[in-house]
Amino acid sequence: MTDPLDALRTPVTPVDPDPRFAAELRVRLERAVLAPPGARPQGNKTRGDAMTTAVDAPMQTLSSYLAVDDARRALEFYAAAFGARRSGEPIVMDDGRIGHAELIVGDSVLMLADEFPEAGHLGPRARGGPSQSLYLRVSDVDGTVRRAVAAGAELERAPADHDYGRNGVVIDPFGHRWMISASPAATTGPRHGDLVYLTHAVADSERARAFYGAVLGWTFSPGRVEDGWQVEGTNPPAGMWGGAEQPGIEPVYSVEDLDAALAAVRTSGGQAGDPQQRPYGRMAECVDDQGIRFQLLES
Amino acid sequence: MPPLRDDEGVSEQPRVRPDPALALLEIYDAALPQVHGYLLTRCSDHTLAQDLTAETFLAAVAAARAHPEPVTVGWLIGVARHKLVDHWRRREREQRGLRLAHSTRTEPEDPWDATLDAVLARQVLVTLGPHHRAVLTLRYLDGLPVAEVADHLGRTLHATEALLVRARTAFRAAYEGGQSSD
Repeated sequence: MTDPLDALRTPVTPVDPDPRFAAELRVRLERAVLAPPGARPQGNKTRGDAMTTAVDAPMQTLSSYLAVDDARRALEFYAAAFGARRSGEPIVMDDGRIGHAELIVGDSVLMLADEFPEAGHLGPRARGGPSQSLYLRVSDVDGTVRRAVAAGAELERAPADHDYGRNGVVIDPFGHRWMISASPAATTGPRHGDLVYLTHAVADSERARAFYGAVLGWTFSPGRVEDGWQVEGTNPPAGMWGGAEQPGIEPVYSVEDLDAALAAVRTSGGQAGDPQQRPYGRMAECVDDQGIRFQLLES
Repeated sequence: MPPLRDDEGVSEQPRVRPDPALALLEIYDAALPQVHGYLLTRCSDHTLAQDLTAETFLAAVAAARAHPEPVTVGWLIGVARHKLVDHWRRREREQRGLRLAHSTRTEPEDPWDATLDAVLARQVLVTLGPHHRAVLTLRYLDGLPVAEVADHLGRTLHATEALLVRARTAFRAAYEGGQSSD
């Protein structure tokens, strides 16, 4: 008996997927293939596993792959200067050179390898200078430039305010040029009533940094005060400090006129502290009429 | 990444043998439309086809290393078929409660002598439950022998034959219903 369902036979016919999907999958595949064995789960048995293999940071459409003349030192420098975190273990070749390493900077992946002249993989020094710049957005331009210089970078242009925001330029110890720029949140002025900052007051900042690092992937740079920390790259910016007697999260709201806002707090049944001048503006601590603490910032 | 992929570099590679997964990158451009086309014509859902395509290539990295055999388009289609079956198995689990409420007994089939309208047949296939779609796809669209279908589904030959009978019955009922309603 012939089976009518035999008519369903469908040979494999190629269908090009969306080019963007194709490009993204290629990047994911390259990462999976080039990742050192054991650095990431190899199973991919279910969709869930497959989605979590790149848990460190999503590979973005465009990422930098640097050639450096001392990859080991570079891994240390980028950690010290820009708060970069390791993603997996570097691949070390038999001759001792690092053939591939990945770092996470903020929300981006930065890949690098030692120089391989035989493959045309040469750093800026070997070519007489950088032919490109790396544009890095940070919440604290001055602090980042300072840390980069302290870690061995050469200052090319000190941080200054420009039409496009605050910006400074350094040449790292391997010859790469970095343009350190304020993140957009810091360059466009907040409006009255905007949430502009979140302060996490915690008892033990080391534990809190480990917790939020694990849960949200937050990275921290040292802040202006003792045991104070800046969360890198969040919007709105956030900070943390340890040793708090009353742990809690305090939002900071922007106001146009601090004195008028403090008067409104009092007439509405809240408590308003005295305005204090801080490097980033005048601010005051307040408590609303139900006991919730917050701060107001005139900026 | 230049040092690992450059051909000259590979000849000086200190790796003892080339990583079989590297072949995936080499055939990616040629294999992608094939794998995607295979999945798209069988699951009729663009998003799902992309998800399964991604799963296929990423799972192939570990599979290529675990079972060193030549990485070819045909081999990747095999991986894709596993992913498709896994997908239907998940769907089947989700719908199991529903299915038990009106589970069907296996009854002898009437001989069915018809010439199928390919477009309608495909539309009908999409409306069937995941377990029926899986068995019909492997048996008819892919043209696999029943024993291989049984392997893929993790069922015995006997259970697979019984499932095929039920799936054909469900298909025929839906197909004839679809014809009369048009």
